[in-house]
Amino acid sequence: MSDTTIQHHVESRDVTFRVHRFNPQVDSKPYFDDYTIKLEKGITVLRALNYIKEHVDSTVTFRAFCQAGICGSCAMRINGISKLACTTQVWDELDRSRETGIIRIEPLRNLPLIKDLVVEMDPLVGKMKKHSNWVDSRMPEDEWGKKEFLISEKEFLTYDKATDCILCASCVSECTILRAHQEYVSPAVLLKSYRMNVDSRDGIHDQRLAGLVKDHGVWDCTHCYRCQETCVKHIPIMDAIHGIREDAIERRGTKDTSGARHAEAFMDDIAKKGKLVEATLPIRTNGIAWTVKNLLPMAFKMVLKRRTPPPPPLVKASKGIDALRKEFREMTGHVTKDHQKKSGE
Amino acid sequence: MLQVCTDFRLSMKPFDIVIVGGGGAGLYAAMEAMKTNPGLNVAVISKIYPNRSHTSAAQGGANAALANKAKDDTVEMHIFDTIKGSDYLADQDAVEVLCSEAPKIIRELDNMGTPWSRLDDKTIAQRPFGGAGRPRCCYCADKTGHTILQTLYEQCLRKGVFFFNEYFAIDLSVEGSRSRGLIAMNIKTGKIEAFPAKTVIFATGGYSKMYWNRSSNAAGNTGDGQAIAYRAGIPLKDMEFVQFHPTGLRKSGLLVTEGARGEGGYLVNALGERFMARYAPEKMELGPRDLVSRSLETEILEGRGLDSPAGKYLLLDLRHLGADIIKSRLPQIREMCMYFEGVDPIDEPVPVRPTAHYSMGGIDTDNYGRTIMEGVYAAGECGCVSVHGANRLGGNSLLDILVFGRIAGRAAAEESGKFNPSAIPESEVTRIEHDLRGFMQPKGHYERYGALREELGQTLGLNVGIFREASKIRKGIEDIESLTERFSHVRVFDTGDIYNTNLLQALELKNMLDLAATVAAGALAREESRGSHTRNDFPVRDDKKWHKHTIYTYEEGHPRIGFKPVTMGRYELQERTY
Ligand SMILES: Cc1cc2nc3c(=O)[nH]c(=O)nc-3n(C[C@H](O)[C@H](O)[C@H](O)COP(=O)(O)OP(=O)(O)OC[C@H]3O[C@@H](n4cnc5c(N)ncnc54)[C@H](O)[C@@H]3O)c2cc1C
Ligand code: SF4
Ligand code: SF4
Ligand code: FES
Repeated sequence: MSDTTIQHHVESRDVTFRVHRFNPQVDSKPYFDDYTIKLEKGITVLRALNYIKEHVDSTVTFRAFCQAGICGSCAMRINGISKLACTTQVWDELDRSRETGIIRIEPLRNLPLIKDLVVEMDPLVGKMKKHSNWVDSRMPEDEWGKKEFLISEKEFLTYDKATDCILCASCVSECTILRAHQEYVSPAVLLKSYRMNVDSRDGIHDQRLAGLVKDHGVWDCTHCYRCQETCVKHIPIMDAIHGIREDAIERRGTKDTSGARHAEAFMDDIAKKGKLVEATLPIRTNGIAWTVKNLLPMAFKMVLKRRTPPPPPLVKASKGIDALRKEFREMTGHVTKDHQKKSGE
Repeated sequence: MLQVCTDFRLSMKPFDIVIVGGGGAGLYAAMEAMKTNPGLNVAVISKIYPNRSHTSAAQGGANAALANKAKDDTVEMHIFDTIKGSDYLADQDAVEVLCSEAPKIIRELDNMGTPWSRLDDKTIAQRPFGGAGRPRCCYCADKTGHTILQTLYEQCLRKGVFFFNEYFAIDLSVEGSRSRGLIAMNIKTGKIEAFPAKTVIFATGGYSKMYWNRSSNAAGNTGDGQAIAYRAGIPLKDMEFVQFHPTGLRKSGLLVTEGARGEGGYLVNALGERFMARYAPEKMELGPRDLVSRSLETEILEGRGLDSPAGKYLLLDLRHLGADIIKSRLPQIREMCMYFEGVDPIDEPVPVRPTAHYSMGGIDTDNYGRTIMEGVYAAGECGCVSVHGANRLGGNSLLDILVFGRIAGRAAAEESGKFNPSAIPESEVTRIEHDLRGFMQPKGHYERYGALREELGQTLGLNVGIFREASKIRKGIEDIESLTERFSHVRVFDTGDIYNTNLLQALELKNMLDLAATVAAGALAREESRGSHTRNDFPVRDDKKWHKHTIYTYEEGHPRIGFKPVTMGRYELQERTY
């Protein structure tokens, strides 16, 4: 370090925040307000919004609490993507924005709007309750506190990452199925359910699983990966979803849904014939995209787990099959990546 | 549930227990109450969803002499460390409860599903923490508070606790020396609603946010429960004791944990000097927390800080560690610096300054969480049983909220049958409605709460911060009085009912102002230096005159100061050296 005085030089510029506004008491429909303020580099979106609220328009309404990325209050859509305002740098968003100098701020999707950027969280809590998102301890309550459960670090690691979830609902906001069906269980709730189900202290595994395989449950997920790509805590949510599906087939057989039955047909095909025949794929009923997204990644994981030899090249390459093969490779790539991530933690 | 109308609630059968606050303390109290008597009607009122409470920010862990890691650790040693750490101001009987309940409560959390990190022998993992003679801090990676809070929230959902999420507590309804229940605002509708209750437990967390952007705390740690109780005639205790952490980020006050210095980071002033050489030539950056905080503050006061619109600061330089070490050993810290300060520590030094971190003081309670008012209890950072005295040890606060949250929950469950509160008069609800409307009236001359809030933080930091002396504290008191006067002109511009955060922030500011007056008054009265309270004009601990708790009662808008003896036990007063 030199002995000259240290200068901290900071860059600053004008930034426009285009903020979604809606107050049901007075507005008939939502609109946008533009706020242009001069900002220093290094400012987060939340600090900018706080500045606007304090100095420009005190009626702009949003949630924020810890300002440190841990409480999950401040999730909103920033330039179209759901994320935490308090951990997002304005300068990064300026780079991402399609309109120069403008950052678009909107509320989360898939949850009812209350005002401006605030959405109702109760539906999510309701789903957590519905799916018993708690450990229902095998130990009777009057024995609590006397001795520890003995748990290996290995078991701890199976749910370690899932317990990072701060219930910010970013994944909920991005979920493709939720847009179509508000009743859908939600990625965060699947994640939490999985975390409870792999915990050896829990005593209601089967009951929870039975709830998850019902309509609007785990078999409805399209494997679009949006939730995992969005997760503000980088949690491999898809591992949880695969995990629940594998578990469901293992414990409950294939009786639950058409999804599970197809998965089994597919597995049989690979296991018995060592090849994948187009005719046996469940494409007939659900179409190729559905099949690929729903079944292949999970089925492939089952192959890995049971040490069945990996599937040979697909037979009878046709135009449709080419596309399938490509997607299959991508999907299985995802799966192995998730696995590596997990074991690397 | 949202639309329950006021009149209906007024005539309703009272809740057995209303808990204000859904952090670790409030949720443990709720769960324990339901466990004690499943037939009870227990409600938790929280201004944010409970899982967002500030308990989630605690990374380090919770102390308990489980002796999993160090086989020779004992509850006795934990008790002694805590009493010594408190600079002998903690009540020794309360500390005994804290430390002997500790192993039980940690196991209980394990039994209900908290994901503790594990040792090779599959028992709960423990690590060393400041001020502790043995590694007894139980943790879950670096997210201990978060996972404890999640577990408790999950268990409360399982047990069917009534949650009133996003309700803001405004006032206690009092008749003589008894409480009739609570009055709160439904944030989502703006309605003022009454909660008639046999017992009320305050668990609203700390008040360190009064230092505003010189605080590591969440925006809502504004001491609401303490202020409500205080104005209702319940005494507060030891408010002058506020703990500072040496390295908060310049702009936000958020913590850069001690790990950064542990790995070899330098603290540097505007002249490029490693100034710790002046204060702790041997330990340098790794001196004890309060000493390092005082050193940073001295550098700033003597003009060797750097200047920025966000205030004066110093630098934490990690660059010499190299990209590899920073990436592999301090990834979280690097991320924080990038997120919140826009600085990558690999390329640039990180701007830091001391930050208010924890409030030792709070609502005066006995060892069961009871206050002097019938049916009113307090627990967690909001209460002051006094287990931390003048300085709390790292890892003892999570423990405090769990142990005393549970005790208060059980006490309220057992005692609620004794109370038969009269109905909350409707006039109290309409009075509050009227007062709140008052904020929104156009005023000839008006003030903005945002500016007042910043000024409050500034004057506290400057005059009632790490270093204190009579003349400065007096200046602080004057400032607080004038800010309080100006507060009466605050105008809230958002006149809507739905989710009016503008109004809530104004109410929070009033709470902070009332409590700031007690912090400053106590700081002026206490003519000694003890724990976190450092007086330049009285630099030594004075046990003869000051080995006692400070008590504050609200009298015509001002704190009246009284005292209370410290409960002693096995441990005699000693000098506190490390
Ligand atoms: C950055 C940081 C790190 C920390 N690390 C540790 C650590 O490693 N170990 C340790 O032991 N301690 C640590 N602490 C301290 C510890 O986290 C806190 O003291 C503790 O979590 C406080 O818990 P609580 O339940 O009392 O309050 P909180 O968790 O703050 O909860 C307060 C609750 O009250 C509610 N509330 C407040 N006002 C109102 C109102 N007007 N109306 C309705 N509801 C209201 C809030 O909604 C919230 O639910 C740390 C603190 C900080 C800031
Ligand atoms: S992968 Fe499934 S849960 Fe995730 S966003 Fe897509 S549909 Fe929703
Ligand atoms: S899974 Fe990730 S994105 Fe979804 S709520 Fe949890 S932390 Fe947020
Ligand atoms: S404010 Fe808590 S996560 Fe952003």
